[in-house]
Amino acid sequence: MGIKRGVSFYSYQQTQFFKQMNWKDMIREVHDNLKTDGVEIVDEAIIKKYPFATDEFVFDWNNEIARFNMNPVTMDVYLDVHQFRDHIMNHREAAERLKNDIKLASKLGFKNVRCLCLVPTEVIEMALSTAEKYDIKIGKEIHAPLPIKPGLSHEKIDPVLDPRMVDQMIELIERTGTKHAGLVPDFGIFQHSPTKLAIDYYKRQYSSEMIEFILDKGKENTVEEVLKMMDKKYPNHGMNFMTLGAIIMKESSARPEDIKDIIPYIVSIHGKFYHMTEVAGQLGQYEDQAIEYEKPIQYLVENGFDGYINSEFEGQRYCQDLDKVQMIDEVEQVRRHHEMLTRLIRKYEK
Amino acid sequence: MFDRFLIRENSLENTKEDGQCTGFKFSVRIADYRGCFLSLHNGYYVKCDDVEYPVSIQRFEINGKEPRNFEEIKKAVWEHWDYDDEGVLWIEKDGGLEPGMHKIELQQSILAQYGYMPWDQEWLENPPVPGKGLGAGKNTTVSQFNLELK
Repeated sequence: MGIKRGVSFYSYQQTQFFKQMNWKDMIREVHDNLKTDGVEIVDEAIIKKYPFATDEFVFDWNNEIARFNMNPVTMDVYLDVHQFRDHIMNHREAAERLKNDIKLASKLGFKNVRCLCLVPTEVIEMALSTAEKYDIKIGKEIHAPLPIKPGLSHEKIDPVLDPRMVDQMIELIERTGTKHAGLVPDFGIFQHSPTKLAIDYYKRQYSSEMIEFILDKGKENTVEEVLKMMDKKYPNHGMNFMTLGAIIMKESSARPEDIKDIIPYIVSIHGKFYHMTEVAGQLGQYEDQAIEYEKPIQYLVENGFDGYINSEFEGQRYCQDLDKVQMIDEVEQVRRHHEMLTRLIRKYEK
Repeated sequence: MFDRFLIRENSLENTKEDGQCTGFKFSVRIADYRGCFLSLHNGYYVKCDDVEYPVSIQRFEINGKEPRNFEEIKKAVWEHWDYDDEGVLWIEKDGGLEPGMHKIELQQSILAQYGYMPWDQEWLENPPVPGKGLGAGKNTTVSQFNLELK
């Protein structure tokens, strides 16, 4: 019972890119150094010849999981609607991809698949019978800038996401009575201020002056308003809505207390983070200064959440324009994240 | 993502077919944290020494097969470019490149998405021309490389 720790191998994407670690090394890192068993993967990063995993890969994976007594928690699955190039995939085809991903997840011993917040609820409903047959839960991700509950002032931050997504999923679960659908909250929804790594990156990518302009105008204006000012002052700025929203962030997209009400629906949690730095005056203790972790963990513990928080490190992408030596150490960042998770979970678990 | 590491250093070579030097090639990785269905791969914006080489004269070598042009790649709807794998981009240029240093500017286009988007119909009918950030996935800027051809 209680909160368990795990790692999404998404966190080690750069280490994998440079071939410094493969998935077996990642399992060893979680087992030997983080002293835990939760494992999450991105299907298209780990499974050779996706979507047709070979028998050899499946056996090799299951053997390694058995060898170290690990727990495959969640497999992250995707939806690329342009796959066929001669037509846009329709909802029935999208459901076929999801069903195949569910079967793959089952072969690899996972309990859940994480599907993206832009996957239509209808597609999930079409895949439910497969999820039930294979005993896999489909967890829809609550990713920033989505709220948990609609009604926040800045909810129209994104042109395609529907702020009622959580309610739509709960409606589906209640209406069908399924035990095989739920939610995957991502801690990015509790990010309340821009991460310094990202600001520095955008200053290098665009210009310091333009980013300062955005930060300044962002204090008093909405994303739409700043975008209009940018179009006027920097006609070829090339910055999109999401990036701009991340730079002028003033409050989190979800309120920490809102997590209490969705606990029964949570399949697993993405422990999103960007940069773990040492807490001032606390040697060996770490925090992400841009993301609220303590309150959500307190609410999860107090309200009896029983499941995994899987670390999802994403700060590496803000250093990949630099020399290799200046890039960020993913393994160390995840270790620091687990120091924080362990400390906060213990603090509230009495 | 991986801005400076999309082309492998020391991979620039001239291509020889039937005894003729037909162009040049270099090895590339995927600018993302996951692989993709090969059909989603939509070519490159490539400039070498300030000369642009359009998608129509590019070919892509992957999965142990002969290099294919991007009309053929578009049809590879059940083939996957795995995240760990390097592909080779072939560019047609009579006589290839001179030995020495070359400045290469690159942007990759992969039509990977997280679901349905407002521009889907447009991309189906008129796929984005690489180079302007549309369809460039997680790396929307043009990356620069100085590579030596030995």
